[in-house]
Amino acid sequence: MKINRRKLLSLIGVSPAILAGSSAVGEPAPKKARMASGPVKIDALNPKGMPPSVQLIPMAPRLDTLDGKTIYLVSDGFAGADRFLNQIAIWFSKNMPSVKTVYRLKAGGLAGDDPALWAEIKKNGNAMIMAYGH
Amino acid sequence: MGFPTAPLVTIAFKDLAKSNAAGHGMPDLRVCFLPHPMTNKTDAEMYQVLLGSDPVTNKPLMPEIISALTTPLTADEQKTGTVRPDVGPPMYSGTQDELQRLYCDNNYTDFMPIILPTEEKVEAMLKGTSHKPDEVVGTLSAARGAQASWSFTVRHVAINAVMAGASPDYLPTILAISSTGQPSLFSSTSSFTRMVMLNGPVSDQIKMNYGIGAMGPFAEPNAVIGRAWTILSKNLGGCGVPGLTYLGTLGSNFNYNNLCIAETENKLPDGWKPFHVQKGFKPEESVVSIFSGWSLNNVAWFPNMPYHELINNWLTHFFSFGTGAATLLLDPTVAREAKEKGFNSKEDLSDYWSKNSKTPAWLYWDTHKNELTQAKAGVEPYASYLKMGDADLPFQRFYRRGRFGGPPEPNPKSSIEIIVLGGETNTYWAGGDFSYVGSASVDKWR
Repeated sequence: MKINRRKLLSLIGVSPAILAGSSAVGEPAPKKARMASGPVKIDALNPKGMPPSVQLIPMAPRLDTLDGKTIYLVSDGFAGADRFLNQIAIWFSKNMPSVKTVYRLKAGGLAGDDPALWAEIKKNGNAMIMAYGH
Repeated sequence: MGFPTAPLVTIAFKDLAKSNAAGHGMPDLRVCFLPHPMTNKTDAEMYQVLLGSDPVTNKPLMPEIISALTTPLTADEQKTGTVRPDVGPPMYSGTQDELQRLYCDNNYTDFMPIILPTEEKVEAMLKGTSHKPDEVVGTLSAARGAQASWSFTVRHVAINAVMAGASPDYLPTILAISSTGQPSLFSSTSSFTRMVMLNGPVSDQIKMNYGIGAMGPFAEPNAVIGRAWTILSKNLGGCGVPGLTYLGTLGSNFNYNNLCIAETENKLPDGWKPFHVQKGFKPEESVVSIFSGWSLNNVAWFPNMPYHELINNWLTHFFSFGTGAATLLLDPTVAREAKEKGFNSKEDLSDYWSKNSKTPAWLYWDTHKNELTQAKAGVEPYASYLKMGDADLPFQRFYRRGRFGGPPEPNPKSSIEIIVLGGETNTYWAGGDFSYVGSASVDKWR
């Protein structure tokens, strides 16, 4: 970027006159800028883009009871989710021993899909408790 | 998925969980909430949480989880159909002051005054590109996969460019940035920031500053293009809504301008390629390159050792959220010294740092729990590492990794990027945890 020295000196409050070795002579003060006033209305465009439409998805039917059922305990991989789900497994073993729990780590982190796991749960399980760690 | 689910989320993400569920078509999803944070609790403390209540509903937690899986569905929970989001009217009318306030209140801005995007100004902006206003540029999302992906056109980008104060000759660069699909505001709790760098003829054509104060507020395009990225991320990707699409707990001041820089290509040592040429572009091509990270360390230190050794030591001891990638921004004086010491390319220097930097013992063991277990069982080389006590370990962490969860890459390359910029007023340099995300052609959008 090329810098104009004359302009630069003005910017830091030094008269450009020193470039020529002459005595500093202040430039005439600029006339006060005239601003348009009054309630002039203008039109401005909405800056938003295009969010996608959302397809509503009916939730899966619920179970009558958890007794005798297999519950998958699934972690998204964030810190703490695995340990908390282990405490849920312990709770079931103490309080509802007929419930079988199976722990799994979901592939793909927080947002990634894991169709293989969903297929496994559909085949071998009845419901899922999913913990998002933090 | 076809089976009942009870999602567990900590209360810090209450709004996010609800909006995310709605965005994925289940506005009534039965989310159960936990106190926040959970990660620092012991197992016994976690069990006590289970015996306690949901902090949102105040209902006992385990019965609530069981109820989420067993209570029959309501009519609302079984609804189907399509919901079309409302983004407001196409045009707003008012005085300057009224519209400035409205755009602020609607979170359309970075909360600094904007240029109001009148039809006239947007039409003038569109003259900065040969592309048609209705051409779709791409998509943006605050977190791809987790958050909705919005689409946008050239005209949408032009509106946002006007708001940021851009002139039409900046538009191709702003279009190139938006075409990468990378928002400047990412939803993570870790307060990501981005960096954007220009290479090629465009830097001089639009008068980017890459000399004295190259990273500061000293030139219009540096200021405005970086600002435009944040404004358009909000408006074209739905990003930057605290609690919903932005969760960064501290936030980052860098996001006002996103470290918009240009490389000082005319001061590169002989044999050192401009960054875009390193990435496969021709020198005469104009390119934007995107980086993602969190922090920069501007180092003012006059060592008795050569700078490449000093920076090697800095890399050994530098750590951040990311511990496996770094970007060094070198003043041309520092780059020249490295060349004089025998580094004939950026790649030579990057490889030297990758191979010679080490890892502090505490950092290694804190990020390698399984290896610590093996070390205690006498498995090498971990057992030898353990015997080294607090010394820096010969573990090189600045290498490109494979995909998350995938196998390691064979013959991995250095993950250290080098950029040369600055005004040569001193032998300074900056380093940080930025990693290279990708590049896009500016010329394509002229």
